Amino acid sequence: MNKLALNWNPEVIVDFIVAAIGIISAILTYIKPKSKKIPSLFFIRLAIWSMSLMMLIDGISLLIVSEELGILTGIFVVLGTLFFIIGVNYIMKESYYSFGFTLTLGISILFIYLGFQPGAIETRIQSGYVRLPWIGLYGDLGLLLIGILEIYMLYWGVKTFHNAPFLLKKEALLFFIGILLISPITFLFYLLYIYEPIYILVSDLTTFIGILILSVSIIIEPKLFYILPFTVYRIVVKDNRGNPLFDYDWSESNVSENVFIGFINAVQLMSEEIMNIGGLLDINLKDGILILHESENITVGLVTSKSSKLLRDSVIKFTFDFEAKFQKQLKESSHDMKEYGAAFELIEKYFSNFPSRIIPHKSHPLLLTDKLLKLPASLESDLKVLFPDEEEYNYIKSEIFRAPESSAESFISLYNEIKEELEKREKEQNGEPNNVKMI
Amino acid sequence: MRYNIIKASEVLENPSFQGVLEIAKEIINQNKVLDTEMLYNIAKKKLNIPRKGLLSIIQTLLNRKILVEGSKYTRDTVMKNPFRKMLYDFIKENIGSHFSLIRKEINFDEKGKIASPGRLIWHLEMLLKFNFIKKLKYKNYTLFLPLNINEHEGIFHFILRDEINLKIIKKVYELKSIRGAEIYKEIHEKRELVYYRVKNLIDLELLAIEGENNENIIINPKVYKLITKNLTNS
Repeated sequence: MNKLALNWNPEVIVDFIVAAIGIISAILTYIKPKSKKIPSLFFIRLAIWSMSLMMLIDGISLLIVSEELGILTGIFVVLGTLFFIIGVNYIMKESYYSFGFTLTLGISILFIYLGFQPGAIETRIQSGYVRLPWIGLYGDLGLLLIGILEIYMLYWGVKTFHNAPFLLKKEALLFFIGILLISPITFLFYLLYIYEPIYILVSDLTTFIGILILSVSIIIEPKLFYILPFTVYRIVVKDNRGNPLFDYDWSESNVSENVFIGFINAVQLMSEEIMNIGGLLDINLKDGILILHESENITVGLVTSKSSKLLRDSVIKFTFDFEAKFQKQLKESSHDMKEYGAAFELIEKYFSNFPSRIIPHKSHPLLLTDKLLKLPASLESDLKVLFPDEEEYNYIKSEIFRAPESSAESFISLYNEIKEELEKREKEQNGEPNNVKMI
Repeated sequence: MRYNIIKASEVLENPSFQGVLEIAKEIINQNKVLDTEMLYNIAKKKLNIPRKGLLSIIQTLLNRKILVEGSKYTRDTVMKNPFRKMLYDFIKENIGSHFSLIRKEINFDEKGKIASPGRLIWHLEMLLKFNFIKKLKYKNYTLFLPLNINEHEGIFHFILRDEINLKIIKKVYELKSIRGAEIYKEIHEKRELVYYRVKNLIDLELLAIEGENNENIIINPKVYKLITKNLTNS
């Protein structure tokens, strides 16, 4: 082909840049997250690929002024929109289907049919260069499909930002700004393009900047992709005699490990017939799912908002690795939780993608664990006499740090007061010849 | 630096973790309310750790339960402890309870563990501190009363916990007036036990003496209404 015959224009260049950035983003969404088998992400990635290819083909069609390739861009718009809707549907309800999907599918069939009718695309001079605009009903349906895609994208962005835990809020804001640029702002300029073709360039540029920002946010924090698909709450490991060995929370929990293990023991007893060694069981709770996996020596319970193959696989792998890592301790039947502390490394290995919600907001009140709290020496020695049991001593210590100042002193004085009166009464009882006792 | 890949055993030895913990300790020792924002801001200034790393440290400390959720008690939050609430309800329902009685009736804490006397007294102290209850010294007893109960009524309830006292009051109330020397016969109790209690009840102004020779015992008119109310309710 003669180089001089190519229709180089600003739109072609912008199209190629946007396509390149889009393809890089699609690759990033595959490389960055550690777990890649999430259907929702798979379809969103396909949507990004489709839209990037659409931009690439659009650029090529303009470059070589090919109406046939122009029609092909429409097919990629259809693919991008449908894949994105499927992705969002999977996030929201673990199914590809929704009314919006059916409606979009219907519009897409009509759109593709119209694309192959004469006059769907025309070669025109617009804004001083040769363009291939979609014409008539074909153009209107194309606009509608892009509009639907933008609405779903905005919905995804808003939901992700809204549900982002405190720790990811900053990155989620960046992500949301990217989405705002790609969806409503781009679409606004796309609407203006109907009246003034030059706005297609602005629309492409906002898409480009939006994708760039989106990609940066994903590079900084791949966990953004895991905010919506499911919320992971807690994992607990117990031995087969019911002792808790390891407990990890992704969100704040008021249920102690002993109570939670008791619950798992009860569930396990009830499901003995279903759940043999090596078995995996999903139990529907009021606000989530309990995935239970039993191996030779341990049972692992994971509480999550939804069940998924990815989570079940992660639980199975975690169980096997836990058994292998703590073989010695399990053989010795040790149930000291401190000995299993290194299981945090397995959490990092299998569950690091899932965002933590353990800090719900910036004013989340904190205290040091009672073991690290230090009391004045004299108070400490007094309290140790009153509370010889270490667990109880630590409990009172943590209470003292939460109580108003001087509570510890007034407690000791009340303790002594009651002790003295009990002693007095005892003496009186023993000394009274008539055995006069009021109560 | 990615703090969350530090090996479990190394967490507490890591200088950044140590630094954040020291700051948390300082804040708590100054008796200030520690929250994520305060810890974050001070640690960021002092330790110069990037935002993500610092948040990751705080998150890890929370995950490993080195930092725990909790704030200074307020009057609203102090009663969230179920054992404390149980104790308060008991004191409300058993006006004029004393420690031995409380200990006898409330043996177990919220986790089903036997509650030690120290723990029981700690919770009583917290109820006192936050003005849910008040205490009253009566002879060799410290009585615990809900805040809205006056001292006289508190002592009255305490006295009536004793079976013989209750029998005496009931009998005097029923007969309106009775010779002091006859009471023990009417209630079928030992004379010396009754004599001692009648004297106590007179001292407490629950009973009064009347008659020419000060022989008759009556309900003190000042507390007649209170006694009527309580005997009717019981």
